[in-house]
Formats: sequence, structure tokens, C-alpha cells
Amino acid sequence: MVAATLVLAATPHSTWEATLKELIQINGVTKTYRSKAGPIHALGPLDLTICEGEFVSIVGPSGCGKSTLLLLVGGLLDYEAGQIFINGNLVNQPQTDIGIVFQTPVLVDWRDVLGNVLLQIEMRGLRREDYLEKAKNLLRSVGLAEFEKRYPFELSGGMQQRAAFCRALIHNPPLVLMDEPLGALDAITREQLRVDLEQLWLLTKKTVLFVTHSIPESVQLSDRVVVFTPRPGQIAEVIEIDLPRPRTIAVRESAAFQQYVHQLTSIFMNFGILRDTVSSPQSNAVVGE
Amino acid sequence: MSSVSNVSNSQSGNVFGSLRTWFSEARNTILFVIGFLLFWEVAVIVFRIPRYILPSLSSIIRQFIRNFDLIWEYTLVTGYETLVGFSIAVAIGVPLAMMTAFSRILRQTFYPFAVALEMVPKIAFAPLFVTWFGFGFIPKMIIVFLVCFFPILLNGILGFTSLSQEMVYFSRSTGASQLRMFWKIRLPAALPELFVGLKGAAVNATVGATISEWIGGDAGLGYYIQIATGQLRMDLAFAIIFMLTALGLLLFYVVQMVEKRMIPWHVSQRVSVFGKSEV
Repeated sequence: MVAATLVLAATPHSTWEATLKELIQINGVTKTYRSKAGPIHALGPLDLTICEGEFVSIVGPSGCGKSTLLLLVGGLLDYEAGQIFINGNLVNQPQTDIGIVFQTPVLVDWRDVLGNVLLQIEMRGLRREDYLEKAKNLLRSVGLAEFEKRYPFELSGGMQQRAAFCRALIHNPPLVLMDEPLGALDAITREQLRVDLEQLWLLTKKTVLFVTHSIPESVQLSDRVVVFTPRPGQIAEVIEIDLPRPRTIAVRESAAFQQYVHQLTSIFMNFGILRDTVSSPQSNAVVGE
Repeated sequence: MSSVSNVSNSQSGNVFGSLRTWFSEARNTILFVIGFLLFWEVAVIVFRIPRYILPSLSSIIRQFIRNFDLIWEYTLVTGYETLVGFSIAVAIGVPLAMMTAFSRILRQTFYPFAVALEMVPKIAFAPLFVTWFGFGFIPKMIIVFLVCFFPILLNGILGFTSLSQEMVYFSRSTGASQLRMFWKIRLPAALPELFVGLKGAAVNATVGATISEWIGGDAGLGYYIQIATGQLRMDLAFAIIFMLTALGLLLFYVVQMVEKRMIPWHVSQRVSVFGKSEV
């Protein structure tokens, strides 16, 4: 197995990380699920450090523990070994200083879009009125200004997911966890939402931990891409994406962008996650071990 | 976004306009019902069906008018049994569903017990209740309660436990207390399933009342049907059945009105009974 260590130590040509404050520290964390067939070692041991304001993607095959890591960082699952710190505080209970977005929008049917964004505020026992203006501004920034009185069922999947982004940002959390937020959208909507998501990120400068299956998506959005091995998920490699922002069409079609995609694809191929020949279940099993 | 504009149109239409919309949607249904009733009336005459097998519609209406005083008196009796039994089932079933959904102990003990009890044909108890409580109001009310209680309880439990894992994660990430989470998310999320149970109970209620009156009653519409059929007065029996149907529909309609008020956002409310989506 690949040594699951990542040292933040920046590559010589970029020194900006060193000036940033570390927000998340993951030290030797492992996670095992219990199942009828016995314990399943899902994740780790894993070391990773994420700085404030960074956009970090985790890519890897299905079942490699990407989403598990996200939930561990959010304090929504327990881990057996190792430690996770956010801002120097040990994560041992659900973290409330975060925003969270899932593959499905997880909006409530009985509230309009504005009400759904403000649900975050009401659940925290904060005053709705204090955040009304901010909620409207956020919705405007994702193009939902005219839809704040609409109910989720009246909106397309992409619009619902935009509302979910706003709900994850309204309380101004330093950290936003995103678990394949674009994974359930059609290809064109997905393309557009990547662009919108980057704009939103450039606007708010939150730290984002982003799980995805898509290599181009990770390159387009991230400062760093963390590639996971098949289960138990460990870090295969960390690639720094040194491309100008915003990542316009010109950037996306550039040779440098393609080079990053190629580099990540190669890592996947080295692990047998992607291959040029038809895969057989047996070979999959071997790779999964 | 044509779907969106449709919604606002139907809301802002005037009374006459919405009535016309309703009629154009309901036209086929209304025509069919009229056609069916006409066919009934004509068929009974043309095929010379004896009155004690199937009475004509007109004779049923005549009987309904002639015996209206007694039908109405018994409607109140049966209606009262239905309403009290249903109400008690709601008053006990809903809180109990809540408690069972949120208590691990109750889920392990009471819940399987309730599921097993649900399989018991409640009507089978009616003769016992007559022995225990006599021919009056109490045994009927208990039967109505029993046939209403289980749909409410079981659908309620389903409703209160049907929250997605992601929603639970979201709630926990806000640091909200269990109580706040209940009011803001769990309760409204449970309402659609709860109303499935309430509507099922509303359908069962008049059935329970009628059958329990057959088994041992001295008043009520069920009792009256037995008297009528005993005398081979099928036209009167049908008149009473129409009244019973109206009673059942009324209860169902009231529950549905409350449902529309409480969960106008739910998917079940967005599609009309005529199969044409309103959105």
C-alpha cells in the first residue's frame, strides 16, 4: 500500500500556503464500519492538513471512504484511531461551525427557497430578521433572486442545489463540507454549477472540502486535489492545481488543464481504478484488497 | 418555468373562473356518474329486475324522502359513534406514534406488538364487546376506535421515522436541540405519512360503526339496514347505504381539508383527483 502520508510542505515554487493558517489537521485517522460480514476497514490511516481559504477536492473510486472522511471532519461519525482538529480543537462531537452540502439538496418541502435558507438560522436559534437581507443577497448571487418565494418542487435540480449552497453559507461558517454536490445533476447543469460554485467561492473565500468522482471537476475547482486509493481509503497522491482563477473556458481548454487531468487519470490507472481493457469483477476484487 | 406561472394563475383566478376550471376538469366524471345513474334506472325497468333484488333509483329516492326522519335520527347515532371513536383514535394514536418513533424501548417492545395486533380482525371482537358492554354506544365506539387506531399509529410511526440521514446530519451540524429539530423538521416531515393513516382511518370508521351495529345494536344506520333487509325493503336499504356513504365521505372530506390546509406543499396535494397535474 502507498504510504498514506502527506506533508503540507509546499513545493518550492509556491510559497503562499506557508503564509496561511492551518484550519484542519487530520492525524492518523482510521474508520471501520461494522457489518454482518464482519468489520469493514473503510478509511485510513490518513494524514491531511488543510489551510484556511483553501479549496481541496477528494477524488477516488466508489466506496473508498471519501464521504466518510467528510462526515468525520464534520464530527458526524466517530473514528477509532487518530485525531482530527479544526482550528486546534479536537473533533469529538458534531461540529456546528460548518456548512454542509450533500448530493441531494436536502431542502424541506414545506418552506420556500428563502425559508429553506433561513432554516439554518432558525435551527441555530438566531433571529430570522437579522439574516433576511443576507439570505436575499446570497440567493441573488446564485441567480435565484426571483425564486425566493418558490417551493423546492417548483425548481429544477440545479436551482435546488444552488439554494442548498446558500443554506450552507448563510451563517458564515469558516468551513464548508461538500459531498458530491454536483453528482446528481445533468451534464450541462453540472458544467454551469461548477462555474457558479467557483464564483461563489471566490466571493466568500471559505475553506471548502469537496468530494467528487469527476477528475475534470476536481481540477476545475480546486487548489489541491487529494487522490484516494480504493478501500481502505488512503491518500495516493496530492496534486496542487496551479491554474489562474477564475477558471474560464480558456483556462479549461488550456494544455495545462489537460495536463492535470492526464496526471490524475494516470494515478487512477496505476491503481487499476481506470483501465483501457474491459474490467472483470475478479480483477476489481483483487484491486480492492 | 411555465409550470410556475400556472400555479400562480390558478391561485389568482376569480371565483367564476375557478368554478369553470373545476367543471371543465370534472366534466367527464360528472357525465359518467349521471350516465351510470340513468343506466341503473332504465336497466331495472327494461330487464324487469324484481324490487327485492335491485330497486330502481327512483324508488330508493322515494324511500329516502319518506323515511328521512328516522334515517336522520340514526345518522346522528352512527355519526356520533364514528366521530367519537375516530377522535379518540387520533388523540391516542398520534402521540403514541411519536413516542414509539423516538423511544428505542417502545420500538423494540410495543411496535412489534402493535404490528401483530394490526393483523387481528378487529370486528371479531364485536360480539365480545356486546357481552361486556351491552347494546349501546360504548361497544360501537370501541370498534370504531380499534379500526381507526392502527392505521394512524403505524403510518404515524412510519412518518416520524422517515427522515433521511442527510437531513439528520444537517440538523446536527446546526447544533439544534432535539426539541427544536422536532418542531422545525421532524413533525412537518411526518405529516404526509400521518395523513395517509388519518384518511385510512376515516374510511375504516364508518365501516366499523356499521358492522358493530349489525352485530349488536338497537339504533343507528347499520341496525336500520338490517331491519330493512329483513323486511326485503331493498329500496330502503339502499337509501340508508347512500346516507352511510355520505357520512363516510363527509369524514374523509374533513380530514382531506385539514390535510390541504396543513401540507399544501406536499406532492399528494399537487395532483388533482382527475389525474391532471396542477403544476
